[in-house]
Amino acid sequence: MSGTSLKISLEKVSKLFGKVCAINTVDIEFAPGALTTLLGPSGCGKTTLLRLVSGLEPATSGRIWFGDEEVTHLSATRRDVGMVFQSYALFPHMTVAQNVGYGLKILNAAAADIAARVKEALEMVAMDGFQRRFPNELSGGQQQRVAVARAMVLRPKVLLFDEPLSNIDSKLRRSMREDIRRLQQASGITAIYVTHDQAEALAVSDEIIIMRQGAIEQKGPPQSLYHRPATAFVANFIGESNVVAAELGGQSGERWLAIGETYLDVSHRADLPVENGPVQLSLRPEFIEIVSKEAADESRRTALAGTIVQSAYMGAVYEYAIQTPVGRIFTRAPATGTRFQRHQPVDLRIQPDEVIVIPESVPDSPAA
Amino acid sequence: MMDTDWRAPGEIGPWVILSWVLIALGAYGGLPWVALEYGLGDFTPDEWLSALGWHHHRATFALPLTIALLTPLAWGRASGRLRGWLLTLSSGLILIGVLTFFLATRGAMGLGAGVVVLCLTALLAVGFSELGFQRGDCFIAGAVIFVVTLVVVFIFFPVWQIFRHVLMDKAGALAPFTFFRIITSFGVGRVIGNTLLLAVSVATATTICGLIFALYAVRATTRLRYLIRIFYILPIITPPFVVGMSLILLFGRAGMVNDALVFLFGPQGLFIPEGGAPLFERSGYIYGFTGIFLAQVLSLTPVSYMVISGMLASVNPAMEEASLTMRAGRWETLWHVTLPLLRPGIANAFLLNLISSAADFGNPLVLGGEYDVLSTEIYFSIAGAQLDFAKAAGLGLVLLTLSLTVFYIQKRWVGERSYVTVTGVETAGNVTPLPKGLQRSMTLFVGVWFLLVGVLYVSIFLGGFVKQWGADYTLTLAHHLELWSKGFSSGAWPSFIHSLLYALVAAPLTTLVGVLVAYILTRKQFLGRGIIDFGTVLIFAIPGTVTGVAYILAFNTPPIELTGTAAILIITMAIRAMPVGIRGGMSALSQISTSLEEASLLQRAGSRKTIRFVLLPLLKPTIISSMAYSFIRAMTTVSAVIFLATAGTDVATTYILSRVESGDTGVAVAYGSVLILTMLIFTLLVQLVTGRARTERQTRTH
Ligand SMILES: Nc1ncnc2c1ncn2[C@@H]1O[C@H](COP(=O)(O)OP(=O)(O)O)[C@@H](O)[C@H]1O
Ligand SMILES: [Mg+2]
Repeated sequence: MSGTSLKISLEKVSKLFGKVCAINTVDIEFAPGALTTLLGPSGCGKTTLLRLVSGLEPATSGRIWFGDEEVTHLSATRRDVGMVFQSYALFPHMTVAQNVGYGLKILNAAAADIAARVKEALEMVAMDGFQRRFPNELSGGQQQRVAVARAMVLRPKVLLFDEPLSNIDSKLRRSMREDIRRLQQASGITAIYVTHDQAEALAVSDEIIIMRQGAIEQKGPPQSLYHRPATAFVANFIGESNVVAAELGGQSGERWLAIGETYLDVSHRADLPVENGPVQLSLRPEFIEIVSKEAADESRRTALAGTIVQSAYMGAVYEYAIQTPVGRIFTRAPATGTRFQRHQPVDLRIQPDEVIVIPESVPDSPAA
Repeated sequence: MMDTDWRAPGEIGPWVILSWVLIALGAYGGLPWVALEYGLGDFTPDEWLSALGWHHHRATFALPLTIALLTPLAWGRASGRLRGWLLTLSSGLILIGVLTFFLATRGAMGLGAGVVVLCLTALLAVGFSELGFQRGDCFIAGAVIFVVTLVVVFIFFPVWQIFRHVLMDKAGALAPFTFFRIITSFGVGRVIGNTLLLAVSVATATTICGLIFALYAVRATTRLRYLIRIFYILPIITPPFVVGMSLILLFGRAGMVNDALVFLFGPQGLFIPEGGAPLFERSGYIYGFTGIFLAQVLSLTPVSYMVISGMLASVNPAMEEASLTMRAGRWETLWHVTLPLLRPGIANAFLLNLISSAADFGNPLVLGGEYDVLSTEIYFSIAGAQLDFAKAAGLGLVLLTLSLTVFYIQKRWVGERSYVTVTGVETAGNVTPLPKGLQRSMTLFVGVWFLLVGVLYVSIFLGGFVKQWGADYTLTLAHHLELWSKGFSSGAWPSFIHSLLYALVAAPLTTLVGVLVAYILTRKQFLGRGIIDFGTVLIFAIPGTVTGVAYILAFNTPPIELTGTAAILIITMAIRAMPVGIRGGMSALSQISTSLEEASLLQRAGSRKTIRFVLLPLLKPTIISSMAYSFIRAMTTVSAVIFLATAGTDVATTYILSRVESGDTGVAVAYGSVLILTMLIFTLLVQLVTGRARTERQTRTH
């Protein structure tokens, strides 16, 4: 079925609600057959972008393409998209079978045909046998499965998910997102998935688009966003990160990063900006190690000194907040190691190879 | 959103355009183009024939020819928006042509012309939708244009007629001083003062009584409170003036109370020594302010009770418990926490009843005596031989302004805040009971109230069975026999059948339009939305007497001549009951998530199918109860229809009033009690049906 996958493209699309600009001149392509996630803080325009693709909301300007066909002026009814809503949006007065078979009935399919396709779709989401139940007789997770079946039963050109798991409890969420991922891959239908949960985004996506204030901040596969965030905003949003100000200096062959009084040797790194000057660093907690305060006072320190201000036991790990001259830093240590106490002075060892350098000159402008 | 460039979704098959064209042609060929002399109820074949368009005037031949020109557009998938432009322009032009024809020939539109106009409007909607109106959704475009047309023709046009009669003289020249002359003329100032005094007193009294009832119903621990839940049904099913009539039976010159007082304290009374001066004389103290006040308080208190108790039920008990835990007593909690929380509800109740009191027509008519108020004054300036339309229009304008002002304040300052939000979150905690002393005095108050209401209703039912109330209490069936046993063409039957028939037509009509308006107002954004919005405000705020005057002024002359027909009564009943459908529809729709409709749209169902398969089933309970309530409203309304009912189209309420005026109280009361009983049985039946539906749903969910 992947032969039918379509590329979805948006060309200079904007959406205004009165004077509020919800989407600001966005150009994107969603790869055929891939699951692309729209990730960003609440109110950044994710839902609006999804609704522009679905046709539920008309674009103020710009053009939208499904493959080679322009759909900008096509109503939602004729765009051939399937959508899973945050609130499930199952018809409360219809049974599960009637809900899933609704579109087929509208298209005047034969009753036997409808029953067969409904059964097939429900089997897909492991809900076969629930045909005669009403939505209010199902749990939240079951309702969302039915909603997924309904969105897929007409084999649409595009599948849209608007925070489909946000009303489901956290245990179930994990298995649901794997199911959605599996179904989408099996069907090969191009999918757009909206979430504000970065862990969910990392887990399900082929590609992630980070949105900010109606524009695209960065786009790329999960690993590249995690390891090479283009902006502090992205670094903060994907994974956990401590963003601190620093200075890049030295000549080629012998370069250093100065974090306050601490110097990191980054001579052998090839991915640094050529020009020296102020930069921002993103320090991931997993690459920061806490050690007891070193006695010796070196002239050029390689560790960042600080004081523990918060310490919490989380089961497998301890979580610490450490006050340093460059700001508060958050990190973890395995619970098997020593526990540091509040007010205890410590040193933070930062692995120079894993420090992410964000050029100061382009902190906020959206990447193309 | 005319500016965005939307292509029609292509839902419009050739049959849509074709069928409208064919209906238009059929109506032109076979239905009367100009109004029949004696209406549709009474005509000879010759009259029918000569009223047909092609018989009536040669100019009408242009119509079928031009309409037929539209036919090819049914198939042509003309490039781009050409088809849209062609359809819009041509149907628009023909429409203007038809209207100009009637204005030029000063003819009155017949049914045929009406149908043709309807078809042309539909074609216009198709054209508009092809141009991208409502995102190319032909069904919604049609609904919007339909509603806008209705609002313009049946709301704005009549209201404009009131302005016209005030602003212009008979020749059509501007007469800016007419209004000034009318409101400064002798007595008008007093009438306005009377109206305001009455409205403010009634609103104050009903708000206080409503508050007492609400607190009692929600918070008291006695059994009596269960009775309150049914007590608000009574005024709904009672024609407004019947309460006034029962007050006369009880307190009138020949009423029971007067009789009793005379018996005890009158001349030769039981407690008066032989030859001593009587302490009491028979008097008509109930006529005038006292009577109207009492009648309105009795019939309007349930309204404020409902508004305030809705608010009270939504007060989170945790807030009161918080106050109690801070050592505030029950009194302090009631005074400092509960009542301030109810403030929007109290203000809302006050303003609503201010309008209702000023608009009430039946009670002042029956009980007014010397106490003139605006609504009766309007009636008397047209009724009888006076026919002072300018004065009626001027007073109508004053009443309308008053009502609109209050309505605006209500909508602006309290309307928004008094909506009870149903969150589905269980409010924790127990309700705080009333202070003991308060509960005891309230029990007394509520008990006395129920006793009074009980006596009133009993006297209505008994009144129909006694020979002459006050003079001769011999039991008799004469009144009922006179009403019901003299064949279907005399007595009460014609008016009763008219009422039933008109209300049965008006109720579904008004519910349909009301829900449609609610749907458009809650779901759609478009250029002309303000028109519908303002139209709804007028529908809500316009007093019945003003509607009556406006309709007489608007529909007594061509091009739309409807007075004397059943149609105008049905339309009036529909307009009077429309707030029911709009309100019900709005609150039901606000509970239905739009994502359900969107899910349906994405399942390839167009908006027509979405409405049919998703919205209508979900709205069914609302539609049924709105229809029932509209039916009752239509059956009991009097203020507007009294202007429009004629000998051939009189309805129950106007018939009863005419019997009151001619002094046949017994007959009037007999009829009134039958009307109330009919409504009561109807209400119970509806509750039974909808109640069963509800329990079925509940058992299904468990
Ligand atoms: N129907 C609407 N009318 C007006 N403003 C809207 C509407 N829908 C969304 N917005 C605005 O557009 C912006 C983006 O909203 P949305 O797409 O819902 O954000 P997200 O889904 O990322 O939380 C917000 O500022 C929101 O207030
Ligand atoms: Mg959202």
